Amino acid sequence: MKPAALPEIGISQILGLVELLAGKGGREDIYKLAAELSMELGETLTVIRAAEMLGLVHTPGGDVVVEPFGNQVVDASITDRKDLIRDKLAEIPLFKMVKEYLSREEETEVSREEMLEKLAELLPNEDAESSFGTVVSWGRYAEMFGYNDDTQTFYLSP
Amino acid sequence: MKQLIEFKNVSRRFLLPQGEVTVLEDISFQAMEGEFITIVGPSGAGKSTLLRMMNGLLQPSSGSILYEGRERRGINYETAMVFQNFGLLPWLTVAQNIELGLEARTKDPELRRDRVRHYVMKVGLEGYEEAYPRELSGGMKQRVGLARALAVEPSLLLMDEPFSSLDVLTSINLRNELLDIWSDRDNVVNTMIMVTHNIEEAIELSDRILILSNRPGRIAGELKIDLPRPRRKRDPHFVEYVDRVFSLLA
Repeated sequence: MKPAALPEIGISQILGLVELLAGKGGREDIYKLAAELSMELGETLTVIRAAEMLGLVHTPGGDVVVEPFGNQVVDASITDRKDLIRDKLAEIPLFKMVKEYLSREEETEVSREEMLEKLAELLPNEDAESSFGTVVSWGRYAEMFGYNDDTQTFYLSP
Repeated sequence: MKQLIEFKNVSRRFLLPQGEVTVLEDISFQAMEGEFITIVGPSGAGKSTLLRMMNGLLQPSSGSILYEGRERRGINYETAMVFQNFGLLPWLTVAQNIELGLEARTKDPELRRDRVRHYVMKVGLEGYEEAYPRELSGGMKQRVGLARALAVEPSLLLMDEPFSSLDVLTSINLRNELLDIWSDRDNVVNTMIMVTHNIEEAIELSDRILILSNRPGRIAGELKIDLPRPRRKRDPHFVEYVDRVFSLLA
């Protein structure tokens, strides 16, 4: 399966979106949502796409609707949320491929450069730096991947 | 409920080149243990000055401040502060930033590291321990600010507009997580006082709102929020509270 590009959106924003929608009964018109949040429509759509990628919402017509998994995450404790997101990330092709790449040898860490090259290969039409940023940020949240900026090494979390 | 902090007729004046300016005048209120209080008011009403008197960084010009029934002078080490702009040191990692507040209080490095681990977990920062602030989103930075304040296990948590530097969605997420932390009875701190200029935020979070008037700041009113949590902005009772705060501010 071909990996899809990752939106450059942090986990807190995604969770905020799902919490907001859950508080509204689980459904809202996308354009109304953007207006209410005073966000640009494009930016709102990017956050929605990120939440959709994580299986938290879906978007029938012009609406955004919280999935049962989204409600489960909203109701979970701060720690349990991380576990739920980790399981979901493990199903996303790009994260799966990165995980396999890091697990291929005994050494489960690679340099930042090597990881950027790998991402450029997996997502040839995307900016590797920005994909790397999101892989690190979501990967850290889910405790799936880690990154040490001092040594510039990216690794599989133990 | 035990009384934690009490202001008795507190005023604060500052000497400026153009003369003496009274920032806060005749402030009296009490905060009980377990309460979540917010302070709202226009810019320049002295909200941040009020917080800084609670943690002892500033002393009152007149009146007195009692903490657990006694008057204190100097820094109150039983309080901790969360700042609007996070207040993180960029050259330290997440774990080191959280540990920083503990160094003055706990000599034992093992105990400090245990504390850091515990509060990293509480705020959902596991996985970020070795990251630097520059690598983090605003939401994650403020989680570090919160963990650092919680780690000193204060009896009173003070927050100065903690969500106002965050984008709208991130602040929704952090407000919810803050309520989870506040209502978690395992936590050492369950008394919180927060300054905000966002009226809806004050109604969403707090048990009681203190409304400050402008220059000099006086307590223009006090409002107990009698709504079950989670509170919804669309709820007509919520809207009624918004109107009441506005009418007290006006």
